[in-house]
Amino acid sequence: MEEVDKILIHALRQSGTDVAEDIQSVKQFTSELIVEAVVRCVRVINPALGGGLSPSLPPGMSARFRVGMGLAQACQDLGYKGEIGYQTFLYSNEPEIRSLLMFLVEKLPRESAEASDQPAGKSVVLQRAIAAKIKAQLALPWLPPNCRLPLLCKTQSAGPSLSFRAQPLSLPYSTKSTGKAASKELRAYQREVLLPVTAQPSHQGAVVASLLEQHASELSAAQEWDSEWNSQGLLSRLTPEEYRSRKMTRLHKRIEEQLRSATSEPSPESSSGVPGSSSDLAQLLLSFQGSAPGDHLLPKGTHFTHTQKFTFTQDPGVLVEQMAAVASSMPLGGQSEGEVQASQQAELASLEEQLQQVALRIDRLTDHMKQMNLTVAQVTNELKDRELGNQEKEDTMQVKKQTVDLLPDAENNLAKLQMLVEASAKRVVSLAAQWEKHRAPLIDEHRRLKELCTNQDMESSRQLSEIKDLHEKIRESAEKAKKKETFYKQLISELENLPKDVSRSAYTLRILEIVGNIKKQKEEITKILSDTKELQKEINNLTGKLDRTFAVTDELVFKDAKKDESVRKSYKYLAALHENCNQLIQTIEDTGTILREIRDLEEQIETESGNKTVANLERILEDNKAIRAENLALASKVREG
Amino acid sequence: MMSLRKLPSTECQSLCHKVVDELCGREPPRIVDYGDTWSLGEWVGLTDCLSSLFRKTVGENCSDEEVLAGLRDVGPGYGETVLSVLEARREEIRQVLLKRTHLMSSTTLQDFDWQLKLALSSDKISSLQTPLLNLGLYVRENGALRSVAIEMGREELNTLISSLEAANKVVLQLK
Repeated sequence: MEEVDKILIHALRQSGTDVAEDIQSVKQFTSELIVEAVVRCVRVINPALGGGLSPSLPPGMSARFRVGMGLAQACQDLGYKGEIGYQTFLYSNEPEIRSLLMFLVEKLPRESAEASDQPAGKSVVLQRAIAAKIKAQLALPWLPPNCRLPLLCKTQSAGPSLSFRAQPLSLPYSTKSTGKAASKELRAYQREVLLPVTAQPSHQGAVVASLLEQHASELSAAQEWDSEWNSQGLLSRLTPEEYRSRKMTRLHKRIEEQLRSATSEPSPESSSGVPGSSSDLAQLLLSFQGSAPGDHLLPKGTHFTHTQKFTFTQDPGVLVEQMAAVASSMPLGGQSEGEVQASQQAELASLEEQLQQVALRIDRLTDHMKQMNLTVAQVTNELKDRELGNQEKEDTMQVKKQTVDLLPDAENNLAKLQMLVEASAKRVVSLAAQWEKHRAPLIDEHRRLKELCTNQDMESSRQLSEIKDLHEKIRESAEKAKKKETFYKQLISELENLPKDVSRSAYTLRILEIVGNIKKQKEEITKILSDTKELQKEINNLTGKLDRTFAVTDELVFKDAKKDESVRKSYKYLAALHENCNQLIQTIEDTGTILREIRDLEEQIETESGNKTVANLERILEDNKAIRAENLALASKVREG
Repeated sequence: MMSLRKLPSTECQSLCHKVVDELCGREPPRIVDYGDTWSLGEWVGLTDCLSSLFRKTVGENCSDEEVLAGLRDVGPGYGETVLSVLEARREEIRQVLLKRTHLMSSTTLQDFDWQLKLALSSDKISSLQTPLLNLGLYVRENGALRSVAIEMGREELNTLISSLEAANKVVLQLK
């Protein structure tokens, strides 16, 4: 009971009741304390219900009675099943109060307890930490920069608001550079000229940002390559280099197609103009760069810019020549400015005209050149065809010439020819036989190799799938490990945050002790039970034996009793003995039940005496007297009023 | 280009490296260090000339002889110096040029920064606990840097991310 009382008092203190230090058990609770505790509990459980109750007992008896009635009603509203009335509070008895308080404490809302019991989410922990930190920082006064302690500098200076701006870095061990061995010049540059990475960005704040950015970009590139290689590269069964080159050619093709399709549309319109589709392409590229400023245009030598240069380089050359001509023909001064200006204007006009003419001529010439080029190509083709025809004709002429040479000695030559034909036929047959001989093993070999190849194919695909599975597994287990790690960390942080409540461990210890005690008691009870059973059995045995012995003896003695007088007497004694013994047993059993009843009664007396009945009765009498006095006073007041 | 002759060829190497650094987006060479040697006009012309030389050589994959021929007038030793710098930085310059070629739009993203903020409370609600994302985009628009700042709640961020993912899908399909 002491433990229960301690827990109850602890809970009541938490709910706001002012329980004095020296009160250790419910037995010591006064009526005032009980009323206060109950009211506080009710207020915590149901604020609306407890709002109308005052936590202190008024001095007037009838008011006290009313408070008691109200409290009892409130407790019943909360769902208390036991007997309760004003007497529970005013004339307390220990067990009732204990059960009531236990009921109320169990009803107390547990949200605070639950919040700390359940594993709080990560976000909750974080938010709490943030709130605590901000509260601490807000509590600090703001100080001008010169007065700050180093601790404050961290939170109050503008340092954390630095923006994150990355700048490109040059690193010798970068994955961006290809795996080729570094050239001599490169190594010399890295050794002598290249600054350390911390000195490369223009201002100090960008070092970390640049490093992080560099690392992130390299990491993401590596990861992308990894995933692509695992998903597609492995399936293609190529080495990484082959895969890369294949992908590059594919992309090149695609880009070319795109460009071609983009340029094919406008080309019909401009086919009449001077610039061909190639310069269109150049324009397209220029439009890609859009309105980018001049200094961002690349002098990069694509095919298109080359052609652009070819088509347009004549103009400046011509222009320069003309300019020179104009300069030489310029009069060397001596004329008035107006004249000079007029002449310059005229010059300008004529020059522009010339320029236009030249441009027109160039246009025409280019057209002409194109046509010429076309005709040249046609003519070359024709020439090739003719040459081929010539070759054929020459061949046939050779054959015919030989036949004509052979004609004079026709028969001989015919025989010779036949012989030759036969010999070659024979040779062909023998060659075929030889070929057959060679072919068979070769075909066998080929088949064997094919089979081997398919086997290897299957094997490799099997291994591939295995590798894939393994990759998947590796990823999964890594994820799992990560999850568990974070969970573990979270739990550890929670453990650290938990209040180091001593009573908790004490409670657990105590609970364990109690459980041990209960176990022991149970064992003892079972032992006693088994003892009782054994005794019962023995008693039954003995009674049976007794009955049988008595029956046998009775029979024997009864037989002889007809003949002999003394035996008859002994039979009478035997019967009396049996009767008396039965009575004795009966008496013993009765004594046992009476003893048990006595014990019950004693217990009842104890509980009744625990209820402080006498004291309560006295108090009731006194209160009765007080009420009567109050009534009298009120009545006299009424009469006076 | 001829004004390069005013500088001894040993210092010429470090100058060339600095020009390449500028090309790669790092700190440019400062006229303060070379103020005694050149006037401002010469300086601007020289750096422009060097930078375009590097770009052209790497971009058009010129041979060493072409470079040497171009620098023959300057003086002995200079051509070799420039060539060694070129040899050392060729890969870097190539990467930069490739990167610039990728930027085929009038507006390109140069850099970005983000900050995650947690609004703990507002003037009306005591406990808000709403995460907000401050996204800063540094955009180069027609050559001028411009910063765009956006603040987003959770849903807005989700829509942004989903639209970016859709864009990424289109890019992946192009591959």
